[in-house]
Amino acid sequence: MAEEILSDQARRQVTALGHLDILVGVPSCNNARTIGHVVQAAQAGLLKYFPDQRALIVNSDGSSNDGTREAVLSTHLDTQSLMLVSHPLYPVHRFATPYHGVPGKGSAFRTLFRIAEIAQARAVAVVDADLRSITPEWFDLLLRPVLDAEFDYVAPYYKRHKYDGTITNSIIYPLTRALYGRRVRQPIGGDFGISGRLARRFLTRDVWSTDVARYGIDIWMTTTAIAERFRVCQSYLGAKIHDVKDPGSDLSAMLVQVVGSVFSLMETYEKAWCNVVGSEPAPLFGFAFEVGLEPVSINVPRMLAAFWQGCHDLLPIYERVISPVHLKVLLARAALPAEQFVLPDELWAKLVYGFALAYHRRVIDRQHLVKSLTPLYLGWVASFARQTENETAAQVEERIEKLCLIYEQLKSTLISQWSLRTKDARSEL
Amino acid sequence: MRQFWEQAILEPLRQLSQQAVASLSSLVGVLILILLGLVVGWLAKEVVYRLLRVLRFDRMCDRLGVGSEIERLGVARSCSYLAGQIVQGIIVLTALLAGLTAMRSPWTQNLVERFFLYLPHLLAALVVTVVGVLVSRFLGRSALIAAVNAGMPSARLLSALTRFFVMTLAIVAALDELGISRTTIIVTFAILFGGVVAAAAIALGLGARDLARDFLQSQFRPKPKAEGEDTMRHL
Repeated sequence: MAEEILSDQARRQVTALGHLDILVGVPSCNNARTIGHVVQAAQAGLLKYFPDQRALIVNSDGSSNDGTREAVLSTHLDTQSLMLVSHPLYPVHRFATPYHGVPGKGSAFRTLFRIAEIAQARAVAVVDADLRSITPEWFDLLLRPVLDAEFDYVAPYYKRHKYDGTITNSIIYPLTRALYGRRVRQPIGGDFGISGRLARRFLTRDVWSTDVARYGIDIWMTTTAIAERFRVCQSYLGAKIHDVKDPGSDLSAMLVQVVGSVFSLMETYEKAWCNVVGSEPAPLFGFAFEVGLEPVSINVPRMLAAFWQGCHDLLPIYERVISPVHLKVLLARAALPAEQFVLPDELWAKLVYGFALAYHRRVIDRQHLVKSLTPLYLGWVASFARQTENETAAQVEERIEKLCLIYEQLKSTLISQWSLRTKDARSEL
Repeated sequence: MRQFWEQAILEPLRQLSQQAVASLSSLVGVLILILLGLVVGWLAKEVVYRLLRVLRFDRMCDRLGVGSEIERLGVARSCSYLAGQIVQGIIVLTALLAGLTAMRSPWTQNLVERFFLYLPHLLAALVVTVVGVLVSRFLGRSALIAAVNAGMPSARLLSALTRFFVMTLAIVAALDELGISRTTIIVTFAILFGGVVAAAAIALGLGARDLARDFLQSQFRPKPKAEGEDTMRHL
């Protein structure tokens, strides 16, 4: 029997509520400054767009000590439509800072999904508690496709600055799209809508005590929904502006958490992606209006310096991971003067696939492997920034589309190499 | 005269020949045992080598970083081959010791006894060395990657120093386990380690005071936001 995550009191409280149509979840941890706005937006959205549906807003809090709970309670919501629960925060959540800034986000999701299961909710929307740009329309956009069009997973689609979300643009989106054949532009968006059916499926999975739930819950949900053939769509939410708690958080740790999760899921869903060719767009809901974006500054010389140092100092690792042919090309590129430096997209895609294979074959310790990708990633970002310096958002999007197509074209080589487990196999990719 | 001939010449010769025959038979026995040990050892090596290859032992060693170290040092062509060679060595050694025991001389008996008393220490030292190699490689690589990602210019030096100190500790512990000049090794290590630290402290104090001050300031004083600092979010 599966472990019960809800306390007896919370379970009784949910059972007493009876059947629900909608559940809105807001996981939090020290978000007193913003959570009131998020909860108010949720309440307004539910009243405006779903007045005849039975709905519940649940704040699942992970041991906040800044008055987050008080901030939620001060929103003057009808107590029948608001519920406060706590999700367990295991020691590991306190010691390691997850990229998404909410310790124990996996536990929070599990708590919310369990409430949705007990209440037999038809649709669940989950939004971050640190959002500043959230509006009541977000809830219509995240819930309507589930309730009216029978989609199971609604991924967010944000308008972002061309230099915002470069891990998503260079690795997560192209790789997920090439592997599973669905074009979900923001696979690790953080805000989403799901059906009760999918919430129940998530609960049956044995990931809740693993690193995937701790650090890669967003990509796990997106991948699971696509790979297990649930109906997936996207909703245009405009800009995502939120409190960045730790802007200087360790980039290599971020890569380990997100890219490591994608690589790990490649093993879980090997059968699902090996037979997929090309990709199909995921339906997009909402009107794609233009929004003003926060300016983003980027220090290219520093990134290039990190890339050069990586190519020099991490060469013994790269020699074990990257094929000799591609390593030669990479080093030749690294030897170019700064003003001429470009990391071609094809080489980049081959490098990412090479790292995925090395991860699969456990060529070296997996954390070391993904962390050693950091300088190469910074090299790609520097190259990308140089090439797109004077380009518009639409032109940059076209460039990312081309990168995705390269990933898709090279996938056959990845497949042919995947089953070869010897270390000699790296010569091909 | 005849009695004298019998007692003084023939009897010692007879005893000598008996001893010679006994010794020779022991020697032949030893040789047969060693030969048998060599043959069985070779067979065992081949069986172990092939079995470990089937079980992908080399891949596991590669993952742990032992494989590349073995290749780099030229100890053996692969880990599974090395494991086979170790098994072969143990069998040949056992055969040799069995042969020495069969000779029944006090000297060989004593040698075998001492060897078996020393064997646990030998194995412990071997384990300590192997663990030292693995830990030094892992920590060295961790230090290298962390230093590179932090943009430290002396990343390789830091990694090499990490490996050196871990290996030094492991070797000192292994030699201590073997009981080889225990006091000398500990004193040498203490002098060497203390000397390095003292030299580094003097060098830093005399030659790099400004550097040390700047470093400490950069670590403990709040940094003003540098011009051109990234505000991008990677995810």
